[in-house]
Amino acid sequence: MDCCTRRGFLTRGLYGIGLGAGLPLFLSRTSAALTAQALQGTSIEKYPERILVVLELSGGNDGLNTVVPHSDAAYYRARPRIGIPAGDVLKVSDQFGFHPSMVGFERLYKDGRMAVVHGCGYDHPSLSHFSSMSYWHTGVPNAGEPLGWLGRLADDHLSPATRNLIVNIGTSQSLAVRSGKHSPLVFDDPARFRRDGTDEEKRAIGELAGSTAASNATLDFLAATARNAADSSDFVRQASAGYRTPVDYGIGNAFGGGLQRVAALINAGMKTRLYYVAYQGNSFDTHVQQGDVHSRLLMYTADAVRAFMDDIARIGRADDVAVLMFTEFGRRVEENGSLGTDHGTATPMFLFGKHDKIKGGFYGQPPSLTDLDDGNLKMTTDFRRVYATAIKEWLGYDDPDVVLKGRFDPLQTFA
Amino acid sequence: MTRRFSQWLLFVSWLCVPLAAVTLTGAPTDWAGDLSPISPADWTYERAAHLIERAGFGATPEEIERLARLTPQQAVDQLVDYAAIDNSASKPFQESGVWDRGMDPFPPSRADAVRQARERGEALGVRALPDGSPRRLQPVVDKFFYGLRANSIETQRLAVWWANRMLTTNRPLEEKLTLFWHGHFATGDAKVRDYRMMLRQNEMLRANASGGLRDLLVGILKDPAMLVYLDNGENVKSHPNENFGRELLELFTMGVGNYTERDVREAARSFTGWTNDVLAFKFDRDQHDFGDKVFLGKTAPLNGEDVIDIILAQPVTAEYVSAKIYRNFVRDEAPAAIRTDLGRSFRASGYQIKPLLKRIFLSRDFYSPAAVATQIKSPVVLVVSTYRKMGLRELPTIPDFGRLTSGLGQTLFDPPNVAGWAGGRTWITPATLLQRGNLFRDVLFADARTFRAPDRLMPATYARVGENLAKGMNVTEATKEGTGDAESNAQLERDEDYNTRYASYRGYVAAFERTKPIPRHVAELNLSAMLTAAHATTAEAIVDHLTRRFLSVPPTQKDRGVFIDFLRDRSTTSESDLRELLYLVLSAPAYQVN
Repeated sequence: MDCCTRRGFLTRGLYGIGLGAGLPLFLSRTSAALTAQALQGTSIEKYPERILVVLELSGGNDGLNTVVPHSDAAYYRARPRIGIPAGDVLKVSDQFGFHPSMVGFERLYKDGRMAVVHGCGYDHPSLSHFSSMSYWHTGVPNAGEPLGWLGRLADDHLSPATRNLIVNIGTSQSLAVRSGKHSPLVFDDPARFRRDGTDEEKRAIGELAGSTAASNATLDFLAATARNAADSSDFVRQASAGYRTPVDYGIGNAFGGGLQRVAALINAGMKTRLYYVAYQGNSFDTHVQQGDVHSRLLMYTADAVRAFMDDIARIGRADDVAVLMFTEFGRRVEENGSLGTDHGTATPMFLFGKHDKIKGGFYGQPPSLTDLDDGNLKMTTDFRRVYATAIKEWLGYDDPDVVLKGRFDPLQTFA
Repeated sequence: MTRRFSQWLLFVSWLCVPLAAVTLTGAPTDWAGDLSPISPADWTYERAAHLIERAGFGATPEEIERLARLTPQQAVDQLVDYAAIDNSASKPFQESGVWDRGMDPFPPSRADAVRQARERGEALGVRALPDGSPRRLQPVVDKFFYGLRANSIETQRLAVWWANRMLTTNRPLEEKLTLFWHGHFATGDAKVRDYRMMLRQNEMLRANASGGLRDLLVGILKDPAMLVYLDNGENVKSHPNENFGRELLELFTMGVGNYTERDVREAARSFTGWTNDVLAFKFDRDQHDFGDKVFLGKTAPLNGEDVIDIILAQPVTAEYVSAKIYRNFVRDEAPAAIRTDLGRSFRASGYQIKPLLKRIFLSRDFYSPAAVATQIKSPVVLVVSTYRKMGLRELPTIPDFGRLTSGLGQTLFDPPNVAGWAGGRTWITPATLLQRGNLFRDVLFADARTFRAPDRLMPATYARVGENLAKGMNVTEATKEGTGDAESNAQLERDEDYNTRYASYRGYVAAFERTKPIPRHVAELNLSAMLTAAHATTAEAIVDHLTRRFLSVPPTQKDRGVFIDFLRDRSTTSESDLRELLYLVLSAPAYQVN
């Protein structure tokens, strides 16, 4: 299995991967470049090995039924039919516990590998999925910021000369990773991330990828993307191929599959520092009969994150990987007439890491369930404080205020 | 003018384009933003080709020449006034008949079906086994999964039917508009779980695609699939559900920022009681809130249609909808002046869609460099238009149409969320760009022998259940899989009143039995004959024919040279060599735009 270990991959990278294996020339160029950057690399960085994985739960996850305030009578008053009975909650403190399907989170929490930040949100919250999600993506609420917060982070701190520092697993690119200088690598299934055809066909197509004299912005964009694809696809595919893990990611492939791909790339020594994986399709938008569906979504989520953290530990990279998980808003405190919940505001965020890197536990002030703003929770922690925590405490960049365009104090979560 | 001569002229004009100092499109740049109509003197083959790319799914050179011989006004009228064109050859969808008595209303989840069965001793028209029997609820859960799988297969069949209609219709704009409205009024079968509703919605959108916006809005807001998709069955007097009201304002008509949260709630109240009795709209008086509402400054006991009329009275609605139509058909950004101008005329016409489309398709702006060859084709348009340009008369089903487009991020009858497909550059990632080329290799070199039909494919984990049972294992043993820590795997194997993994297996088997298979055939393509008919015999002439036929952008001299050199090493009369060349042409980054 030397082909797929990190050491094996790097070693072959050092000596020009695949040169003897009849692989296309550009592949060996790519890996040589990557290796060179790995060597000269990021020595000025405080933590050049560290990786941040950002997970998005799209649709507005119901935070109150995720991290359940099981000792708060107001919770059960507001949710007489869909409230999680205190006896079923996976309790981790006198006040809070997880939804009964989140066995994986209970484990992570009890292992000290998980921090929960109460009541995250922003001033003047939008109840529109698309507006609110774009605010979380850009980190600049109620404004028309064109770039994503992870994209700007890369622009400010990572050299665009190094390719593939941002990877977005998915069929389309998230606004969160839109960058001014970097071209995020976006793919769904690494096995299909390749150009099909005979060697002659592929060579001819490779020669076409230039932009034209009489061009337009769309054609230029396509030409640039084609170059990026040509440079990266073989690397990613080979890094991912043959990754086998005994860890059980569960059946929720929407999330588990993406996280397993991230684990495979990390295992292969991919130089990516920022990974983005979304639970897509507005899945968490539980207006109606949310009990069963929400339970399933949370189970898949907890299974996948727990498995990922275990898998990362298994491959010996637990010291280097932290995870941040968010959703665009929580849901209304009071249940609606359809055994579901409508769009709301503040919601917990989650950070995960190795037990001696992260200080597990609860952070921030739990929002009151009775002192509401038009039926919605009043946020207690600006979500950008959690971003700042990841930027400064985890990745080691001292000026999160620049990326986040404002002053946001980190939470003292990472050791 | 002889046919040969006219072709020669076209050929020359094509070659001259990249040399011309003007622009890629040969149109003056100041046409951008100019909504005045182009003159007959400006009407060319290239402009006719651009029109049919956007107002349809592209066309063969013969069809484009026919359009080019008309005046622009005639060409646009013909495309837009499509109701006059006979389309009786497009046949209705043939249902398999999978929906049994007792399956309505279909339970929202497996757990819900189980609850019903526990309470009533039956669900989905199937009785539970007597108390004390092992796995006494198994028949109900089997039926639930049968319903899910059979519906999913019918939805795949429905998508193939629609794609084939896009390819073969005599009214291309009708289908292009139906596709546009499907994205605008996004509704997904993953949630609706009833292909019959999706089919009816598709027919409703088609019937109203180019009429008045009010009919379309009333149609969609009374449409069972939409009512289910946005949970309006749950929007009742005592507990208004805001989903429907919010998406109506934010996505369908006005756009965010033009109303308040209170307007959302008041709109929701006005639509209380709008629900469906399976496949029909139903107004449930008992659940409707007849009280006063305050909506966009009006106070009255408003109902749903009143709300629609108030929305249509807002100038911003006309701008929002016409700008969305403009962005879909012309270019990704709608300049403010165009937005205002189109909005004003759209509202003045009483929201009539046909005059709006004619104005757009005749405008100089539509033929300006800002518009021509600047849009990225959606996956559905990419595949269907390629087939049309190949001159195919039936949709190839090897490779599978749904697989081709969903791999690129677009599944008919299943947009990603309530906002539909984001479109434009979001279609393109490094991976999808490669796939966009690869898929045509699968079309050009289709392998019927190794092809596996997705409508007859059982995931390995369920297929193993069948294999294990055949080996003589009991259900408990046969369904054992996971050994790990994941709660979700453990739950699947739980074996009490029923076994979920076993039910999934049985559901697939029954669904395969009861649904009509999608007939499978490869593309009936004959490049050699196509090129012979076009008198293209030399490598140069072949390359020029294929690039002009398929690309909206003429290749650079260098790229033309790459194609010619590639063919020089091969036979100009070998079908498979010609297909290799076509694969290169369709893999060019420039093939993604029209």
